[in-house]
Amino acid sequence: MTSSNMNCEAFDAALPDYLEGTLDDSRRASAERHLSECVRCASLLRDIENISKEAGTMPDLVPSRDLWQGIEARIAAPVIPLAARPERQRRFAPAWMGIAAAALIVSTAGITYMLTARSLKPTAGSTVAQVTPIRNQPQTTPDTDSGVTPGATAPSPVDVGGPSTQPGATSRVVTGAAPTRQGGIPARLASQSTADREHSDLVYGKEIQMLQNIVSRRRDQLDSSTVAIIERNLQIIDAAIAQSRAALARDPASHMLDQQLTHALDKKVELLRTAAMLPAST
Amino acid sequence: MAAASNLAHVAVSDSTDVALAAGGDRQAFERLYRVHSTRVFSLCARMSGSRTKGEELTQDVFVRTWEKLPQFRGESAFSTWLHRLAVNVVLNARKSEGKQASRTDEGDVDEERWDQTARAPMYVERMDLADAISRLPAGARKVFVLHDVEGFKHEEIAEMMGITSGGSKAQLHRARLLLREALER
Repeated sequence: MTSSNMNCEAFDAALPDYLEGTLDDSRRASAERHLSECVRCASLLRDIENISKEAGTMPDLVPSRDLWQGIEARIAAPVIPLAARPERQRRFAPAWMGIAAAALIVSTAGITYMLTARSLKPTAGSTVAQVTPIRNQPQTTPDTDSGVTPGATAPSPVDVGGPSTQPGATSRVVTGAAPTRQGGIPARLASQSTADREHSDLVYGKEIQMLQNIVSRRRDQLDSSTVAIIERNLQIIDAAIAQSRAALARDPASHMLDQQLTHALDKKVELLRTAAMLPAST
Repeated sequence: MAAASNLAHVAVSDSTDVALAAGGDRQAFERLYRVHSTRVFSLCARMSGSRTKGEELTQDVFVRTWEKLPQFRGESAFSTWLHRLAVNVVLNARKSEGKQASRTDEGDVDEERWDQTARAPMYVERMDLADAISRLPAGARKVFVLHDVEGFKHEEIAEMMGITSGGSKAQLHRARLLLREALER
């Protein structure tokens, strides 16, 4: 498969230029000598030339339907001045954004105040967290009186109201921890008293409920794919919240699990706030 | 291809209808559509690799043509101008499809599709050339259609697609080798 001037590999490399007619005379002569001796390369060249020739003579294709109706409908449509769309957005979007922003400011200020006020109250001399079951419940069935099964936090689609955080759903008493800030949103205590935990759950619940109401009202204004992504993420976060609650029910003393739960709740609030502030799709 | 006399007739008819359509005459524009739609559709379907997508793009092309017609100066034949506009609409549609399309253009996704379909053992009979073209990786397919089917030069393709002339040649060669491989089966 080789000649004195060009082997198959060299011919393959030279083939595009050979077909384009851009090889210099010397290389072209070498290629042609190789072609006269090599069946493989001669066959390759012939096939490619045939493909190229056939492609150039392919008949026109015919659409499966008359496309004119659609074209006519589009060119006959009244022309909307380009300035009209931004104007409409200016009238609409800021109003919604203003309401949402005001609601968020009020809720954020409220939640921060309530949690901070709680967390900064002096706790009677205890510096080490102690964990005890609440309401004399055994640790394995901690939430029966609140009507919430540990780990049963339902996913919260955007159009379905109801916070996944249930007041009283936390099944432990943690006292005496120093205040720490989590995630920069509400100030939470890594370890809390029963009352503090219930209170913060209540605040989280209200916050989440309010944000879900805003997002539900705005659902029609948002891009459907964006809504789907938000819902999927909420489901993931709700699953994390449920798992954290279930794990805490089994191990109420776990500081790490407590932080995990706090982190998941913060993430849910953060996601809902982001969703509430999203600009309307055009 | 049409005979020379037919082409001349088309050109004369075009010039009148182009002028009328540019002035807002929809019936004249429909006549232009009737004359040129199959060629535009062929380009759109072959470049996109899909007849359905080709139909959508054909509509886009003629809507765009209607919008741009007042700017047509007659420096080239209307059919040449329309064809170039059609290529741009197809290429811009691909760009606007975002990252996924970009990946396809690079051959990532379509390369996979090529492996799964063109080389699949279900193709016992020889594959039709048109079918094989539609299964080419996007970049190779566009260059092949523009060069071997539509007759554009590498320099023109490079300019339209925003690639180098060498890149166009490389994609063309790749397309031809892939087609040969598919048609041999």
